[in-house]
Amino acid sequence: MSQPTFPKNTWYVAAMSDEVAGSKPLGRKICGESIAFYRSHENEIAAVLDFCPHRGAALSLGYVEDGLLVCGYHGLKMGADGKTKEMPLQRVKGFPCMKSYAVEERYGFIWVWPGDQAQADKSLIPHLEWAVNPEWAYGGGLYHINCDYRLMVDNLMDLTHETYVHASSIGQKEIDESPVSTQVEGDKVITSRFMENIMAPPFWQAALRGNGLADDVLVDRWQICRFSPPSHVMIDVGVAHAGHGGFDAPADKKASSTVVDFITPETETSIWYFWGMARNFKPEDQALTDTIRDGQGKIFAEDLEVLERQQENLLAFPDYNLLKLDIDAGGVQSRRVIDRIIAKEQVKSSTIQTDAPLQTVSF
Amino acid sequence: MKIHSTGEVFEVGSDQSIFEVLEDNGVFLAVSCESGVCGTCQTGVISGVPDHRDVFLTDKEHAQGKFVMPCCSRSKSAILELDL
Ligand code: FES
Ligand code: FES
Ligand SMILES: [Fe+2]
Repeated sequence: MSQPTFPKNTWYVAAMSDEVAGSKPLGRKICGESIAFYRSHENEIAAVLDFCPHRGAALSLGYVEDGLLVCGYHGLKMGADGKTKEMPLQRVKGFPCMKSYAVEERYGFIWVWPGDQAQADKSLIPHLEWAVNPEWAYGGGLYHINCDYRLMVDNLMDLTHETYVHASSIGQKEIDESPVSTQVEGDKVITSRFMENIMAPPFWQAALRGNGLADDVLVDRWQICRFSPPSHVMIDVGVAHAGHGGFDAPADKKASSTVVDFITPETETSIWYFWGMARNFKPEDQALTDTIRDGQGKIFAEDLEVLERQQENLLAFPDYNLLKLDIDAGGVQSRRVIDRIIAKEQVKSSTIQTDAPLQTVSF
Repeated sequence: MKIHSTGEVFEVGSDQSIFEVLEDNGVFLAVSCESGVCGTCQTGVISGVPDHRDVFLTDKEHAQGKFVMPCCSRSKSAILELDL
């Protein structure tokens, strides 16, 4: 097999909390692993291989009863530990134990560790200040996109494309007229761009108004894209009335927020893209949260076709060496971090068994 | 191993299960998992002591020795007479 394109021994966002509710499981493929997520006892989140040990039906087509995941085919009842607990008229103690996944609900998301379960460590889930601090509000959504997750990393680590893809909302000519700078700090990559004395584009004019600020004066604008492994991109964006310090301007002179992107590989060429925006102005204003979410959802939808068609092109010409320009440095550096992590993981896993469908076989 | 209804006696080799020998000799026994999990092949024991290799029966049932899972199990005694 060729080198994998994503690390598996790490936490990925698998779902938004409210996607798994009541007695309905959620079937979702993460990093090539088909997983059934469900709420077991006391609403606790559980994740097992989406494969019934009986005849291989997808467990996610079933339902939850008394904390167990009931297979919708012949009624086998699966526990969160991958062990069959009951089945009508059967003795189940000798049934093989299926793979179950380390899973954690935090910050309104469900996080899963798709790789070697022995290495799963909950302290490695990143801290997200905006999710726990009441001075911040968050709104977001989910898109499924048929592209390699690294194409989305490229997209977010180079916002030059806003001028073209998002011309009517956040794009403006000054973006591609301002140079970017890229820095690498360990496993983190930061690409930033600062624009001074410009008019705010429509999305940011609305945000200024939302924060009670004039929208018809010159502003300083910033975009600071922060990549961290495996594929999270947090982007500080905003505008401040010109001359007040830009990113560092006082709160009453700016409208700023953090664009939140969790890019979870589904397969090598498809992703679950969790997008959102966290803001620290008017956090209690739910209507504003909804307005921003709608606006962002429309803007981010504009990237889908670009990325899917790009993926098709790359599959058609797999040997073409893509140009790497200065604007691409953020994505290029992020891929280097990813490659390094994958290489480390490969060395480790060559000594341990991987990808077993069963976690133990009890006979 | 002895078949109760016909009195036939077959030798079960050290690398064989009772079921393999039954099949080789044309004695029908329904199996499914063939690994001691499902209980399909459960057969009564008339005499002798089974060497249980299944995970279907409970420990208590194993100790009682009234049933055996021929798909994977063997005999501890020289003759195991099965209710077949
Ligand atoms: S396939 Fe799940 S119970 Fe039969
Ligand atoms: S055939 Fe399943 S226990 Fe013997
Ligand atoms: Fe975009």
